[in-house]
Amino acid sequence: MTFAAVDRQADFVLRTIEERDIRFVRLWFTDVLGFLKSVAVAPAELEAAFTEGIGFDGSAIEGFARVTESDMLVKPDPSTFQVLPWSNEGPGVARMFSDILMPDGSPSYADPRWVLRRTMARAAELGFTFYIHPEIEFYLFEGLPSETAVPVPVDHAGYFDQSPVGPGHDFRRQAILMLESMGISVEFSHHEAGPGQQEIDLRYADALSTADNIMTFRLIVKEVALRHGVRATFMPKPLTDHPGSGMHSHLSLFEGDRNAFYEPGAEFQLSEVARCFIAGLLQHAPEITAVTNQWVNSYKRLTSGAEAPAYACWGHNNRSALVRIPMYKPGKAPSTRVEYRALDAAANPYLAYAVLLAAGLRGIEGRYELPPGADDDVWSLTSVERAALGLAPLPASLAEAVAVMERSELVAETLGEHVFDFFLRNKQAEWQDYSRQVTRWERERYLPVL
Amino acid sequence: MLTPGGLARLGFADPGRALADVSAVAETGAATGSPVSAQVLAGILAQAADPDAALRTLARLQAARPSALHEPLRRVAAGDTDWLARIVAVAGMSTTLAEHLIHSSSLELLDSPLASVDSFTAELVHRRLVDPVAGARDLTAAHRVLVRCYRDCLVQLLARDLCAQWPMSAVSVELSHLADGVLAAGLMAIRQARPELADARLAVIALGKAGGLELNYVSDVDVVFVAGDEDTAAAGALAAALVRFISEPGAGGVLWSVDTALRPEGRAGPLVRSLASHLGYYQRWAQTWEFQALLKARPAAGDLALGESYVRALSPLVWSAAAREGFVTDVQAMRRRVEEHLAEQGPDRAARQLKLGRGGLRDVEFSVQLLQLVHGRGDVLVRQSATLPALEALATWGYVGTQDAAALGRAYRFLRTVEHRLQVRHLRRTAVLPDQAGERRIIARSLGMTADPDRSLNDRLADERREVRRIHEKLFYRPLLTAVARLAPGETRLTADAATERLRVLGYADPAAAWRHLQSLTSGVSRRAAIQRALLPVLLEWFATAPEPDGGLLAFRRLSDALGATPWYLRTLRDEGATAEHLAHVLAASRYATDLLMRAPESMAMLADEAALQPRSATELGGEAAEIVRRHMEPTAAVTALRALRRRELFRIAAAQVLGTPPMAPAGPALAALTDAVLAAALSGVSAALAADRGGALPTTVSIVALGRYGGGELGLGSDADVMFVHDPRPGADPAEAAAVATAVITTLRDLLHAPHTDPPLLLDADLRPDGRQGPLVRSIAATCAYYAEQASAWECQALLRARPLAGEELPAQLVAVIDRLRYPAGGVPLAAQREIRRLKARMEAERLPRGREPGRNLKLGPGGLSDVEWTVQMLQLSWAAAEPGLRVTGTLAALTAAREIGAVSAVDAQALTDAWLLASRLRDAHVHIRGRADPLTDSVPVGARELAAMGHLLGLPAGSSGDIWEQWRKVSRRAREVTERIFYHAAPMTLRRIPATPSRG
Repeated sequence: MTFAAVDRQADFVLRTIEERDIRFVRLWFTDVLGFLKSVAVAPAELEAAFTEGIGFDGSAIEGFARVTESDMLVKPDPSTFQVLPWSNEGPGVARMFSDILMPDGSPSYADPRWVLRRTMARAAELGFTFYIHPEIEFYLFEGLPSETAVPVPVDHAGYFDQSPVGPGHDFRRQAILMLESMGISVEFSHHEAGPGQQEIDLRYADALSTADNIMTFRLIVKEVALRHGVRATFMPKPLTDHPGSGMHSHLSLFEGDRNAFYEPGAEFQLSEVARCFIAGLLQHAPEITAVTNQWVNSYKRLTSGAEAPAYACWGHNNRSALVRIPMYKPGKAPSTRVEYRALDAAANPYLAYAVLLAAGLRGIEGRYELPPGADDDVWSLTSVERAALGLAPLPASLAEAVAVMERSELVAETLGEHVFDFFLRNKQAEWQDYSRQVTRWERERYLPVL
Repeated sequence: MLTPGGLARLGFADPGRALADVSAVAETGAATGSPVSAQVLAGILAQAADPDAALRTLARLQAARPSALHEPLRRVAAGDTDWLARIVAVAGMSTTLAEHLIHSSSLELLDSPLASVDSFTAELVHRRLVDPVAGARDLTAAHRVLVRCYRDCLVQLLARDLCAQWPMSAVSVELSHLADGVLAAGLMAIRQARPELADARLAVIALGKAGGLELNYVSDVDVVFVAGDEDTAAAGALAAALVRFISEPGAGGVLWSVDTALRPEGRAGPLVRSLASHLGYYQRWAQTWEFQALLKARPAAGDLALGESYVRALSPLVWSAAAREGFVTDVQAMRRRVEEHLAEQGPDRAARQLKLGRGGLRDVEFSVQLLQLVHGRGDVLVRQSATLPALEALATWGYVGTQDAAALGRAYRFLRTVEHRLQVRHLRRTAVLPDQAGERRIIARSLGMTADPDRSLNDRLADERREVRRIHEKLFYRPLLTAVARLAPGETRLTADAATERLRVLGYADPAAAWRHLQSLTSGVSRRAAIQRALLPVLLEWFATAPEPDGGLLAFRRLSDALGATPWYLRTLRDEGATAEHLAHVLAASRYATDLLMRAPESMAMLADEAALQPRSATELGGEAAEIVRRHMEPTAAVTALRALRRRELFRIAAAQVLGTPPMAPAGPALAALTDAVLAAALSGVSAALAADRGGALPTTVSIVALGRYGGGELGLGSDADVMFVHDPRPGADPAEAAAVATAVITTLRDLLHAPHTDPPLLLDADLRPDGRQGPLVRSIAATCAYYAEQASAWECQALLRARPLAGEELPAQLVAVIDRLRYPAGGVPLAAQREIRRLKARMEAERLPRGREPGRNLKLGPGGLSDVEWTVQMLQLSWAAAEPGLRVTGTLAALTAAREIGAVSAVDAQALTDAWLLASRLRDAHVHIRGRADPLTDSVPVGARELAAMGHLLGLPAGSSGDIWEQWRKVSRRAREVTERIFYHAAPMTLRRIPATPSRG
């Protein structure tokens, strides 16, 4: 006569709050564009929040309005409970990621977290769990300059440089300590190619945890930067002449404890599942690009050449391909994975991972055939050569990306009609607003001569 | 003389083999001086559930231990068959215990009073299970000894169960004691084997069925552990060892599993806690369902004094749990969970499930516990731990009806007995009747059903489950009525407080109002009150399936207030099978249908069966309408009667939408046929009356042309009917007089159909006529033709696509010739006309949508809505109909199908348009059902959570999926909009015109 398992974690949270003298609990959620939102509750309200959720007026939140005229509910996910590390002194503050519910308790179609949950549930129906290991790049700039000035990087070091007194190095150390204290494991960190550019890689985790972790990561990195008197940015392409910041993501599917991408003896040790998954990513890459690269600025990075992927192709250790198969290390079956390189760190991670997963699953369900891999540097080919090889270009601008996405049933189905519609309209408006700007480049180029 | 046929009649499945074996056993008896006739032996064996198996066991016993059967057979020879009968009974029931008898036990067990008249008391159990384990060499040996002793006890208990018809509840109590004994023996064995744990103070508390002393033959035993000391390390080790010792199979066999998941924090929590820690947990963290689990807590083994203090300390918490905030919500959630669980069962599997499923054991147990938690807070008398005693207590103190409780108790006992037999068969935890008819036959025979066993068992199970299936009505609702009615002063009944509390738990948002309605409906000694008292329990349950049961109850009260005195009303509800259930669903779900019913209560008779809900044919309707007009000379009376006819038929259509499968099927054709019949009859009535007034034939004949959605046979509930009037003056009539008469006829007709009345008006909209609102209300056919031939605009040509005569009539040939040329233009739509139509539509989208509301929600004018689909289809018709006669139809879907067949639109696009059109029509009708009338709001997908929930219910969606309606509409309308933009707005002008020109008619 047990009734369906009741979340024990909720009890753990309530006890911890008691024991650690937590006075405020922030309930975090994410709007459709990927901005972190927070509502603070007193611990006393938390018990009700776990069972029924807490009502709030969502009408002013991007993408939440118009789902219903009534208030929505935020319902914390107790498994994400963490004490925030930057309030060591005095009474503590903790946070939990939350789901957004309709007044009748059903999940809200506007909630990006549910979009990802729903897609992961579809994967689970096929027997898969989705794991991700993200490499997050960002820039550190001096001080807090005005928005119009060209930002000044904190150093002039390069890829993997170890500068003895580099502010970036100390910064990374502190950021990593703080991340670890919130239960987010860091795999790897180093100086990136651009001046002041950093990379921190998170340990692989299931897609929902990874998306939660990325949201936390972005906040912590900015918080630590503030403490150092510098500014951290995840803007995809902040400097014209230096590389942009991406968020290469290593994706893998597991069936239980087994890596479904691994097949000993196959080419690159890639199983049929992996090959179909990659084919799905490539086939649907153009239509999901608006989600994985959602800002006008994202396309400045994608079209900049160098290591940015602009064509839907795959390769083994090919750093210009959209999908790269990392070198297989013998004896590391569980680490077989594919790296999707278009994504940038300013995406909404919930939506981006949902569309990536959906594209890959579509490939598996439709038994897509994987086209031959590309060994060449795609950027060095002529456009005719690329056409001959059947390399489809990714959209070159937000406008193109949105136009392709608008016709995509895959994206509509994955995001749900509400988010799909909001996203399209918001991005169309962004592009229109951008198009009417007269830029410095135009004035510098035309004013003297025209 | 024994024959195979005789043995078959006795119930042997393999009589040939049985004959040999029976004789062999009988001969043994004879050889040892106890002559037993094969006949007698066969007679004893025939009592067993499985005589063949019983006989085989005897044969094997004889082979294994030749002397074992001597004594029992000697007893039979002396005329005492009991001992052998018990052996046979056990061997023929349980395969596992039969093996046990053959290999590990002695038949003397079954010669003991414990196998016939004595019960296992706690003390006796100790002697039988705990003492033998003392001194076991190690845990393995202890386990083997314990399994053997436990099975010995089961053998004796089963013999009594089968041969002495021991009551189910008594068997359950003994099984619980035996479980206690196993726990105690386990503790002792572990303490012996691990001296460091010898002094650990540990109490084992039984929960669940073991705690309630109502255990099954085989089921998990739910326990929690209490440590005697704050340092729980030793007690924890002891408890963990105990769980392992009992749950894991040993060399001697399996006992049962110990389930510790009900402990504080479940599997995540520590296995053992001190008493203080338990208390702290329950005081602060426990949830409502955990208190429900504690209802049955009982010290079972270990330190019993400690166990007693645990139970004493926690029991007040259990009952104060019901006072906690959120209790009602929790209980409702628990109830929903159980119901969802019930719904998951497929019909086939559910029929063989004894435990789960509607009408299963779990249903009874849960319902009884729920009532205990609701009422036990205020009333200590209903605080019982086992299901049957609790049910009796609830009945004794008036919380449920005495007879209902008795019937349910009977059903519960029977189902549990069947479950016991299933489990003891192979000592396996199961509650599902086996697939194999042979196995079911054995179960049936064990219950004394020897004639056609499988059938008898199925029939009896069906009967009992039917009893249980109405459990909610009986336990939850019927006592409410007894309480309200205050009849039979001697009988105890629910207090008003208890009743309101219960109504709230059952989902009524305003229990006080519901209580008042119930009072008004059932108080007094009138026949009406008596019948309603009998009806309401089940009505209340049906109302509760709707999102807001309050509405259904209120509507029922209004209906009864209006109709209670009508003799047939209550009789129909009581006697006419489906009527009451259909009525309850209609009242709770549709305000529109309810309002119609209030005005025409006699329509309720239609709810009796599905056939009556079929819309009536145009011919039938036309005949009845014409008959009405013939009866009433006076036009007001005639039209009033026609409107009554319409109201009745509207109810039929609306009720069919609510009750039909799928729900909310579009009713356009039925509504159009009804409107045709009413309009034609009313027109003829009004014309005839005017002619009579004028003392002669009228100088002209008026006819009605159906247009718009009416013309297309696509009316929704509450839609206006678009029409155009034309008249045909007699040769030689004065044109001005003819026009004046025609106008008078139409004005009278409109006034009568629109006049305020209790019956809904039939609203006519003639704005699509030539010159629109500025033009004269009616023109002659010649004038109409002239207008269209000379000055029809593009959109008027488009509107004519939907022009059709009323059913059974024909449009004047002259008119047809003109309008066909316009609506089926040779060579397709001229470019200028295409542009004009597109611009008009674009302007409508910009201007006609209600301000301040989201366009996407508008089902009619919003993107992908009805008008998008209809205009796109009409554009295709204008383009292709000249060449393709199949497209010359007025219905949107018919035209779309024709367009798809000739390849004017792809199958995918046609599907997208059809999906959107159908869903919009269904949602719009559903919204009218909810609001009770058509108004601008009903053209939209509602925004309120309550409306969405009501809509989901009407559309047959599961509760809690209200967001899906909106999501679904957006998906479907997005696709339709894409098609509209492509075909209607952006198609290269030539594609719509690339038609081989056909010679035009004119």
